[in-house]
Amino acid sequence: MSPPANTDLGYTPPDGGWGWAVVFGASISVGFAYSFPKAFTVYFKELRMVFNVSYSQIAWVTSIMCATTYGGGPISSILVNRFGSRPVVIFGGLLCGIGMILAAFCTSILQLYICVGVVSGFGLALNLQPSVIIIGKYFLKRRPIANGLAMAGSPVMLSTLAPLNQFLFDNFGWRGSFFILGAILLNCCVAGALFRPIGMAADPVRKPTIKQAEKTVKEQTNKSSVEMLSPKTVSSLSGTEDEEDKDCCEKFNKYLDFSLFKHRGFLIYLIGNVLMFLGFFAPIVFLAPYAKHLGIDEYSAAFLLSILAIVDMIARPTTGIIANSKWVRPKIQYFFSFSIAFNGACHLLCPLATGYTGLVIYSVFFGLAFGMVCAMLFETLMDLVGAARFTSAVGLVTIVECCTILLGPPIGGTLIDTFGDYKYMFIKCGAVMVLAGTFLFIMNYYNYRMLAKEERERKATEETMKDHKHIRTETEDGNIWAKEKMQDGPEVEPLTDEREGLKKEVNGKSEV
Amino acid sequence: MRVSGSGAGSMRLQLLLSLAALWLSDANEPGTAMTTRDINQQTRESISDYTVKGHDLSTPGSHLSTQDFNQQTEENISNLTSVVYSKSIDGFSSAPVEENVILYNPANIALLCNLTRASTDSATVEVTWKKDNERVESSNVTINETKNVWSTQYTLKIRDRNQMGNYTCVFKSDQEVNATFHLQVPQIEGKEHHVVSYVGDTVVLVCKSLKYIPINWIWYMSNGSDQVAINDSLMPDKYIVDEKYANITKLKILKISEKDDRSYWCQAVFKLGESKGKVSLKVLTYMTPLKPFLAIAAEVIILVAIIFLYEIYSKKKQMHAEDEKEFEQIEQLKSEDSNGVENSTTRHRKV
Repeated sequence: MSPPANTDLGYTPPDGGWGWAVVFGASISVGFAYSFPKAFTVYFKELRMVFNVSYSQIAWVTSIMCATTYGGGPISSILVNRFGSRPVVIFGGLLCGIGMILAAFCTSILQLYICVGVVSGFGLALNLQPSVIIIGKYFLKRRPIANGLAMAGSPVMLSTLAPLNQFLFDNFGWRGSFFILGAILLNCCVAGALFRPIGMAADPVRKPTIKQAEKTVKEQTNKSSVEMLSPKTVSSLSGTEDEEDKDCCEKFNKYLDFSLFKHRGFLIYLIGNVLMFLGFFAPIVFLAPYAKHLGIDEYSAAFLLSILAIVDMIARPTTGIIANSKWVRPKIQYFFSFSIAFNGACHLLCPLATGYTGLVIYSVFFGLAFGMVCAMLFETLMDLVGAARFTSAVGLVTIVECCTILLGPPIGGTLIDTFGDYKYMFIKCGAVMVLAGTFLFIMNYYNYRMLAKEERERKATEETMKDHKHIRTETEDGNIWAKEKMQDGPEVEPLTDEREGLKKEVNGKSEV
Repeated sequence: MRVSGSGAGSMRLQLLLSLAALWLSDANEPGTAMTTRDINQQTRESISDYTVKGHDLSTPGSHLSTQDFNQQTEENISNLTSVVYSKSIDGFSSAPVEENVILYNPANIALLCNLTRASTDSATVEVTWKKDNERVESSNVTINETKNVWSTQYTLKIRDRNQMGNYTCVFKSDQEVNATFHLQVPQIEGKEHHVVSYVGDTVVLVCKSLKYIPINWIWYMSNGSDQVAINDSLMPDKYIVDEKYANITKLKILKISEKDDRSYWCQAVFKLGESKGKVSLKVLTYMTPLKPFLAIAAEVIILVAIIFLYEIYSKKKQMHAEDEKEFEQIEQLKSEDSNGVENSTTRHRKV
């Protein structure tokens, strides 16, 4: 299913130009948000000794960080809805930097939880969501590629940050490293600076000039044309959504759209993803320990993760390109469901891999599947709800997913401890993901059908409206407002209903 | 000891270090690398085959033992099991053979040397034992000769540190070969990379001896070329030694100053000797990470400024171009106004 008509946004996204700079900035932001908690584990050994705590106590730092990054989603969405992406990302970058700088002066583990976990975590939350949102604002036809490239920032950043952290630690100790990491995280502000605002905010520049043109034309004799022209163009420029949202209840929805919970596509995505995340991250966490359990030495076990990261790096943009092709894009939800099920199948087959070669093959396929899912994670959500409502959707989705993301690895760990065998963890993860994939596949099939039906109905009503319009122009010459109302009709609907067909989006404007 | 044997011609004895693969596979001890020569190297025309078997000494009851007790003769001497260390020398032309024997508790050991000689070598072989290059005469030495194999065994009861050292078995006829057993306490590994800390901060230096549990740990700090013992009871607010576990020692240094930038030695005291590990501490001031920090912060500010300036510049250009476009459109409207309503409205709508 293709996204709703771009009349949703009120303008045509550029699909290029400055958009690629935005993709670059987004990949930096996303990269920091996803890879920083993982790369931070380099310091665990030292911190354990200095603060005299157990491994699980120190692991709480990254858990809190992840929880805040995902849980801060709705706040992020509200802020983006209010201020736009750029100020939020810059503020987020500053917050991350300040958090790490403060962490350099910590004297207890609790202060570390607050500085690194909460403050930096929240800063990363303010980085992650706006980066994904702004891609939807800059791209439409090439959005899957843009998403794939932006998400590719995560493995790239991880493979840079992990050795960098080790280097900093060897030369500056952990305090100095935190201090310098604070500066490095400030680079998120650079990414934020690239997020030039686009859309409604940019258009006011045009409004006064159009109004000027109208005034000069008004001086001409043809009054009816002017009257038809002015309210029409003004309304199309300012976007009827602004006028609509002036209602009292809907004013809050402008900041965080809770009506999404009535959106069929959103609910399907939410349930499917919540299920999927139960088994998504656990295999990565336990891959190296599993390898060591099988008797493989530490360096080879670590190398498995490197293989995974490299394959991941390549898989994400490639998936973006594939998802953008004309065969896949209309049915992108099926591709997403397939990649989740493929991921699950990999995990189910993992217990069959007994030697190092088997594990290498598993890592390659896992990296591929992981990259495929991640690349399309946000693209499919954009596809279902549309770029305008995506801002709120992403916030709501991340806070709900937050729970299962955090539960996944501990449940896996409990399974391993109870049965003493890793294979049950892999089976659980695989089963959960295959289930999620199948659920999404079936529900999306239903969703596509419902959307097709609604599209047919909408077309039918449009036809009848067009007929009405022709009748009215002949009989009511002076009743201009009635004409506008009719012409406003088709424009208003796309905001509330879903729309289908790539063609429709492209020709959206011309329809009007 | 001179023993005459049969055989004509010169004896060509080759020293072959062929360690039975299993036994010498426990090359965990440092220095056993010296003894890892392939059994397959028996390509020379060695008539004499010295089979050397070395294996790790481990005290009975120690679950850290990596050795198979099954493979050697064990004699129970005074409650302690005796473990045999043996070395094979393959012919008189072989290079000297060495083996590290790690001991940390009193034990009974037997050092066994086997020399396989070629039939061409002379039958008379003088067998002696040396400790640290001094000849030993002991009733604990036995010498055997079978077909072409001379073997000698030196039984030792190691009880104190004076008995540690290098024991060499020497076979002498026309030429001389020997095999050496280095009896030593376990080596402590410190940290190769220095530990970094800051002025006013606290640091913990760790030394571990996982396989062998020492009786005691002593910390030293280097003072020029000397080593001064650290007494934590004398300076309790500066140094704290944590000995929660017997095989790990932690030295916590509080209120670090630049004077503490030196090497520290952790000494593990065993019944049979001591062993030291080195940990070096590097003390930095807060200025040190500040320079990279400022460099990166400056880079961020410069990049952000460039991006914003570029945006303002391109916006100005865009507005300029738009003004021109609007002017043109107005002109067109004025000229085409006479053509009718439809054209103008559609043109505007497309905007």
